[in-house]
Amino acid sequence: MSDQEGKPSPDLGKLGEIVNSKRMTRRRMLQGTAAAAALAALGPFASACGGSESGTAASPSAAARKKGGHIRSAVTGGTTKDVLDGQVSYIDAGRKCEQIYEQLLGWDSNSKLVLMLAESYDVGADGLKYTVKLKPGLTFHNGKSVTADDVVYSFRRILDPKTLALAREHLTMLEPSGIKKVDDLTVTFTLTQANATFREALAYYGCCIVPVGFDTPKGAKGAIGTGPWKVTSYYPGEQTEYVANRDYWGEGPYADKLTIIEFADPTAKLNALLSGSVDHLAVLDTSQVPTIENTPGYQLLEAKTGGFDPYTMAIDLKPFDDVRVRQAFRLIVDRQAMIDQALAGYGWVGNDMFSPFDPAYPKDLPQREQDLEQARSLLKQAGYDNDLNIVLNCSTSTGAADPGAAQVFAQQAKGAGVNVKVNKVDPNVYWNKGNYGSYPFAMTMWGTNSYLWLCAACMFPNSPYYETHWKDEEWEKVVLEAYKTADDDARNELVRQAFTIDYERGAYIIYEFNTMLDAHSDKLQGLVANNFGEGGATKQRFNLMYFV
Amino acid sequence: MPVLCKLILRRLGLGLLTLVVISVLVFAATEALPGDTATQILGKSATPERVELLREQLGLDRPLIVQYFSWAGGLLRGDAGRSLVGIEMPVARMLGPRVVNSAALMLVAALMSIPVSLLLGSLSGRFRDGLFDASVSLGSLTFAALPTFVIGIVLILLFATQMLHVLPAVSRVQPSASIWSQMDLLWLPALTLALASAPFIVRMLRGSMIEVLESDYVQMARLKGAPERIVLQRHALPNAIIPVIQVIALNLAWMAGGVVTVEYLFNYPGIGWALVDAVSNRDVPVIQAIVFLVAAVYVVFNLTADILTILISPRLRTGLH
Repeated sequence: MSDQEGKPSPDLGKLGEIVNSKRMTRRRMLQGTAAAAALAALGPFASACGGSESGTAASPSAAARKKGGHIRSAVTGGTTKDVLDGQVSYIDAGRKCEQIYEQLLGWDSNSKLVLMLAESYDVGADGLKYTVKLKPGLTFHNGKSVTADDVVYSFRRILDPKTLALAREHLTMLEPSGIKKVDDLTVTFTLTQANATFREALAYYGCCIVPVGFDTPKGAKGAIGTGPWKVTSYYPGEQTEYVANRDYWGEGPYADKLTIIEFADPTAKLNALLSGSVDHLAVLDTSQVPTIENTPGYQLLEAKTGGFDPYTMAIDLKPFDDVRVRQAFRLIVDRQAMIDQALAGYGWVGNDMFSPFDPAYPKDLPQREQDLEQARSLLKQAGYDNDLNIVLNCSTSTGAADPGAAQVFAQQAKGAGVNVKVNKVDPNVYWNKGNYGSYPFAMTMWGTNSYLWLCAACMFPNSPYYETHWKDEEWEKVVLEAYKTADDDARNELVRQAFTIDYERGAYIIYEFNTMLDAHSDKLQGLVANNFGEGGATKQRFNLMYFV
Repeated sequence: MPVLCKLILRRLGLGLLTLVVISVLVFAATEALPGDTATQILGKSATPERVELLREQLGLDRPLIVQYFSWAGGLLRGDAGRSLVGIEMPVARMLGPRVVNSAALMLVAALMSIPVSLLLGSLSGRFRDGLFDASVSLGSLTFAALPTFVIGIVLILLFATQMLHVLPAVSRVQPSASIWSQMDLLWLPALTLALASAPFIVRMLRGSMIEVLESDYVQMARLKGAPERIVLQRHALPNAIIPVIQVIALNLAWMAGGVVTVEYLFNYPGIGWALVDAVSNRDVPVIQAIVFLVAAVYVVFNLTADILTILISPRLRTGLH
């Protein structure tokens, strides 16, 4: 099916105008918030900032926050196929699991690795042996204490090939025999090869800790974890109800009850918020922003994330086997214009390298800009003179902006004499074997991850998402070395070199990173923008939210 | 009336045959859709080894014909099977509350639309071309021309989010309580459905009324000196209503399918939404059960309309003897 052949769409100009007017109001609003923040900073007594990550200049300290109330959150994407098993669920089902289950380590709202159930962890000098100590006194929702046995069980369950556990592909460096209980609160993991991403695996949502004997729950019963909310009822595709876990080890929860309600349609979700049926809405469509801005009593929450919806160029297939074509394609993109047109301005400019929150991310490399002249000349050197025809595969499931972004690319490519035909693939088969992974030129989607983590997922021939068929000897040498390097500084230097190679000759066109939007009633506060960027702008940290 | 009984039995037999054919068609159509339950469940995380594992767990690696007959065999034993996805609820338990919700929605919508449209239709037929008729015609043609979701959105703006804040914009039905204890959630979706379906009844009855009022027997009754009230009640209305019965039956049957849009718009947990969900998950037992129900509703309503028509029209009624 290829009904759109990259013809210039007559609506795009008009769309640009609408977008500009929207951005005007948004800019005004941001200025307003900045002014408020500045005022708050001026008055020293106005700040009662708590030590918690949720504390901002205007919000009360943890102790002063009002307790009680019932948070009702509207979400889309949940269906009857979701199960409350944190080890197999992700994004839409995961959103409901994140309330229940927790990991040994975790990410804070700025993508910094933090301790969760672990009190400490230690990496041996060879990078092979990880010793993890649990916080004392942790309990599961059924009252049982969390011990080393539960940790051993949880990781063995993930490694069991008979389960659908998501984390298995991220734990290739671990064998079941390498997981050992030392004492009640201590576990050692001995890896088969040194791998610096193991720490991140311990923080991966699929690596949550479940009690010994846990199996995929058939409903709410048996969905037992250590998280801030205990599930009380589960109606698949309709709603999930929780009560506060008053024995929670971390901050909150402040409210007494939480209900996550599934919506089939984004309009119904917005109507639910505007009519007071819910207090919070996860993932607002950019087209709905003006409605929230113009309705008193409601607020937007905007989170800058490291998630991105890039173009992939398969480097072993024509025409991308020639590095000059890849470089030319990167020069074709007018990044800000694409963000404005395809994402209504809600995104931030990318520089063809992923993982912007990685400590090694080279912020000093010059921002790549559109240069059609240069693109034409590179294409000419590669043997294409105004006669390159190419199919761009995309679907509605590849990212918030797709297939809109693909149309914009097709239009911009005309400027360099490239004729792009946009092929909209049925979202149900886009990811199927035989399609995904064999597209020469396509769109894809990724969440916030560190560089080495993402490389394992998509840059090696045995990666589960080997979409660009990437192969580069120099790159491989530094990256494999980086995985083995336990020292942070030495590893970051290697990763930086790998980033530079991606920047020069990589196979992704990363024009943007996503901005994620939530909306909420102004009676609900304590929402913290989280750059994790999956499922909502707050990483669903309902335990930090409170009513005013 | 043995003739009538025979007719009913024959029609029921045909209806059953229709259902069997439909079940085969639905099964084949679901199989023809790209992707299967395993790939739908896994989405982007569908690595070949995971797909393989899940297919085996769900029994999707068996031949199609075996899958079909294992489902059909279960149905004959009164077991509609289990959902293939999620927590694998039995279909009956999963759909039970949703069928009740959708039936409640249809019932309330029918109670809103049928009496009002019968009244409006017969009056505008009687006072043809007057101001009343003109305004009813304008109104019904407008609603007939509007897509259902537009009617719904306008109602939401009027009663829930912009003008008045008297009714909920979305129907957050509490799954743990009966729908009848949450009537306020029903008004807007039911009104939408009623407004979308009423115009056809109004137009049909108006046309039929005009035709009947110009017929010879009404002329005869009038010439005979019968009062206008008697003419209308005894001679015109019973004859005018016959084609309308068919329209009402079709309307009710249409509602069984038309609830999909309304349920989607109001996030109303009924069979329409369940069907959309089931199709996107390729959850065959659930799809089969819902399509079966909707088809059965069509068969039953049409049969009822035919029987009523026979009983009401003197010519057909006497033909039975």
